[in-house]
Amino acid sequence: MKTIAKRVLAVAAAGLISVSAVAQDKATDLDQLLKMVQSSKIAESAEHKKREDDFRRQKANQAGLLSQAENTRTSEEARSAALEKKYEEQELLVQQKRQQLDERLGSLKELFGHLTSTAGDLRANLDTSLVSAQYPGRAEFLDQLIDKMNSATKLPTIQEIERLWYELQRETVESGKVVKFNGTVIKPDGEQTEQEVVRVGNFNLVSNGKYLEMNDNLKMAELIRQPDGKYLSMAADLQSATSGFSPFGVDPTGPTGGSYLKAMIASPSIIERWHQGGIVGYIISAVGVVALLLAIWRLLVLSGVNSKVNAQLRSSTPNTNNPLGRVLAVAEENKGVDGETLELKMEEAVLKERPAIESGLNLLKIIAMVAPLLGLLGTVTGMIITFQAITIFGAGDPKAMAGGISSALVTTVLGLVVAIPTVLLHTIVNGRAKRILHILDEQSAGIVAENAERK
Amino acid sequence: MHALNDAWAAVNAFMASGGPVLLLIAGLTFFMWTLIFERIFYFKGGLKRDVQTAMDTWEARPERKSWNAHQIRHALVSRVSEKIDSNMDMIQTCVALAPLFGLLGTVWGMINVFEVLAITGGGDAKQMASGVSMATIPTMAGMVTALSGVFANTYITRTAQRETQLLADHLTMDH
Repeated sequence: MKTIAKRVLAVAAAGLISVSAVAQDKATDLDQLLKMVQSSKIAESAEHKKREDDFRRQKANQAGLLSQAENTRTSEEARSAALEKKYEEQELLVQQKRQQLDERLGSLKELFGHLTSTAGDLRANLDTSLVSAQYPGRAEFLDQLIDKMNSATKLPTIQEIERLWYELQRETVESGKVVKFNGTVIKPDGEQTEQEVVRVGNFNLVSNGKYLEMNDNLKMAELIRQPDGKYLSMAADLQSATSGFSPFGVDPTGPTGGSYLKAMIASPSIIERWHQGGIVGYIISAVGVVALLLAIWRLLVLSGVNSKVNAQLRSSTPNTNNPLGRVLAVAEENKGVDGETLELKMEEAVLKERPAIESGLNLLKIIAMVAPLLGLLGTVTGMIITFQAITIFGAGDPKAMAGGISSALVTTVLGLVVAIPTVLLHTIVNGRAKRILHILDEQSAGIVAENAERK
Repeated sequence: MHALNDAWAAVNAFMASGGPVLLLIAGLTFFMWTLIFERIFYFKGGLKRDVQTAMDTWEARPERKSWNAHQIRHALVSRVSEKIDSNMDMIQTCVALAPLFGLLGTVWGMINVFEVLAITGGGDAKQMASGVSMATIPTMAGMVTALSGVFANTYITRTAQRETQLLADHLTMDH
């Protein structure tokens, strides 16, 4: 009970507030408000009365409208029946006419079937045929022809049927020709230029010594990556040739979209192969460069020493600018001593010369041995990566695996490519060093003896 | 002439199926056998003259007893042995390099095989066959080169040792 009383109070308060809100607009005090409410009530009741009168008037009209609608319905029903009858009659007529058409078409129907399938096949061929680059607009004609033959109301004309035959013939003839023609070529940077294009049958398109491809819109575009230089020069030769035979790299899969050419272009270049080797590959290359520089430096130094030693062999006075001269100078200084002592002194002098002559040779030998081992290291790490890929993706994708394996093998190649010249260079440098040491070791005492006897 | 053309065509086909490394092996083989033949011709011809000169110099000496004579004899033998041993290291290196070249060819061919595999997905064994032949032919060629070189090298080394020893024996000392 209390709650209800509270609500009533609350509603009353709300009413008071809203009333006071209205009163603020119009009424200045409560009496005035009362007056206003009364007057509006009178106006409303007058309106209601007017509405009721209208309604009564219209009610009388409704009966008239109903009868009118019923009349319309019956007339439309009659019309529908008449139309239905007419439709049945005309359907019979259509059937008759269709029968007549079939009779008259007879064997022609079979012919159109063949024409449709031939045109469809040709349409599919033209989509990939490079001849379309030279003769655009053939596909549109075929589409129209196919539409015509499939529709029930139109028949292809004799000219159109003959043109189909002509297009077939032209495709056959053109795919056996090597021709030059002018066409719009899209360059890799998006620029379009009008230039001379050579079409080799249905196999390749070349222009200005570059291979082209035909994109889906039958536009000719320069391949972003071109095949090897030898194929490019062949293409240039072909374009400049006027008669006779010219060797050329033909893509046998040209008529089906040129997948061989694409595959060949996708294969990595030498530089890309080198990058495939990864960190181990770079290390091997660096070691190889070090070996090469070291070998060249030692070769130059030893050549200089060698020529000085040769000069020393010819002269009788020791010159201290070369190892042999220094050894001979030791003999010169100890002229009075006996043979045994002199030999020991000279051996000591030769021992002093040895490190300078042999320096770097061991490093070269180590590099020659380590380079293939580094290559092996790269291969094994590459294989580990490949097998990790297998554990993640499974062995179902040979492409993913093959990529890793070929990059693993690159390091082996790099190792061998570094090792082979290093071994050769080591042999050459070692030969020079050995000759000089040979002279120092075995001939210096003899030279001293010869000089002593000559005096 | 026809037979020569056929042979040339066969060699070309072999070279093409072996890949670029086979050319390197061919070059190496040619270089190695040139050196081997050079040694053999030297042993048959030039060596005799060098030995004779050394022996004449030795025989012309007034005395063959002193320390000086000993050293001079040593130097004479050393000079001839230097000539005998020249290029021998290079031949040995070539023998050692031949299998390395073969390995290089193998790896190169394998890279080709895997590349074809990466492009075609392994469906076409025929396309991989060219890579396989590029992998196997250089290995075989490298082995053949190395084996032939090993035999020739053994013969040359033994001849060189014998000739050096013979010379040392010829230069007799007086006691």
